Amino acid sequence: MRDSLRGAREISDAELVEQACSGDDRAFSALVRKHHASAYRVALSITRRDDIAQDVVQDAFIKAFRALGGFRGDSSFRTWMMTVTANEARATLRKRGRWNESSIEVAGPLEASAPDPAEQAVAGQESSRARAMLDTLPEKQRLAISARIDEGLSFREIATLIGSSEGAARVNYFHGIRRLRELME
Amino acid sequence: MNEIDCAKVRDCLPGLASGRIENHQLVTIESHLLSCEDCQSELELIQMLRAAPPVVPFLLADQIESAVTSSRRPWNRSWWGLSAAAALVALAVGVGVSRDRPEVIQDVVFDFGVDPEQGELWLSEDSFLAGDLWIEGLSNETLMKLLAELEGEGAA
Repeated sequence: MRDSLRGAREISDAELVEQACSGDDRAFSALVRKHHASAYRVALSITRRDDIAQDVVQDAFIKAFRALGGFRGDSSFRTWMMTVTANEARATLRKRGRWNESSIEVAGPLEASAPDPAEQAVAGQESSRARAMLDTLPEKQRLAISARIDEGLSFREIATLIGSSEGAARVNYFHGIRRLRELME
Repeated sequence: MNEIDCAKVRDCLPGLASGRIENHQLVTIESHLLSCEDCQSELELIQMLRAAPPVVPFLLADQIESAVTSSRRPWNRSWWGLSAAAALVALAVGVGVSRDRPEVIQDVVFDFGVDPEQGELWLSEDSFLAGDLWIEGLSNETLMKLLAELEGEGAA
């Protein structure tokens, strides 16, 4: 069993899911290592708080592990995991009574996405400002932009993520981009 | 180029910014960008966003694995799992598993791909078999087989 997972990076997600379903902890660990960053960025995009996003991702992986047997492979594991995380993030915000399209002032400072001065010098103030402005957009728009730009998702995958049609995913992305450009001018 | 061309190019801009565009598309898109200020401006915005991605906490993967492991401990297991774990402990006591016969248990569990040396299995001071995480990793079917094996070893 140990040998079968040596070089797990080469094993496909479908194989890892199958192995994890049969109780192989190392397969699940490989899935966590591979997809936790995408899941975190989705959680952060929705919650806009690093501490909440980290809790959300942990809970999402716990739930995903329990439900892994029901994963049918209709979408990629990554898209499925990102969707589970998005749902968990929304549920968490609802529980916390923060389920609204609040402004950035209400949401408070961004911990993880706000770089320190040294990082700012490297990334450039404009980049940081663009990220801060992205955070002021409605949830579906910022999630569509983040999923498209950070994760390289297709509009079909984004539709699954934000719970809409493919057309609506496209509209959310382009409206968000247009609004962001206005804010940056 | 007309508006349709702009729409097609704008679809490709995230891919262009991340270097995921096929060579044959690249020439067409770059040629369009040279003459279209609007698309060029959008590409710059996308590049800006990509230059400052959210920082993923360094230990997050470890935290997730710990959280998943904790959630799978026997006291967090379903009623069936808890019953099975309790039954296994009771059975181990019932068949007289003791410190002076650890090889009996080890032989059985090795057959099921569980390595006691990893701290997944131990014998307590009272000669009780104390199973923990390894029980969680077993399917119901495997757990039933293990119970049957243990019963057979104990009787032998």
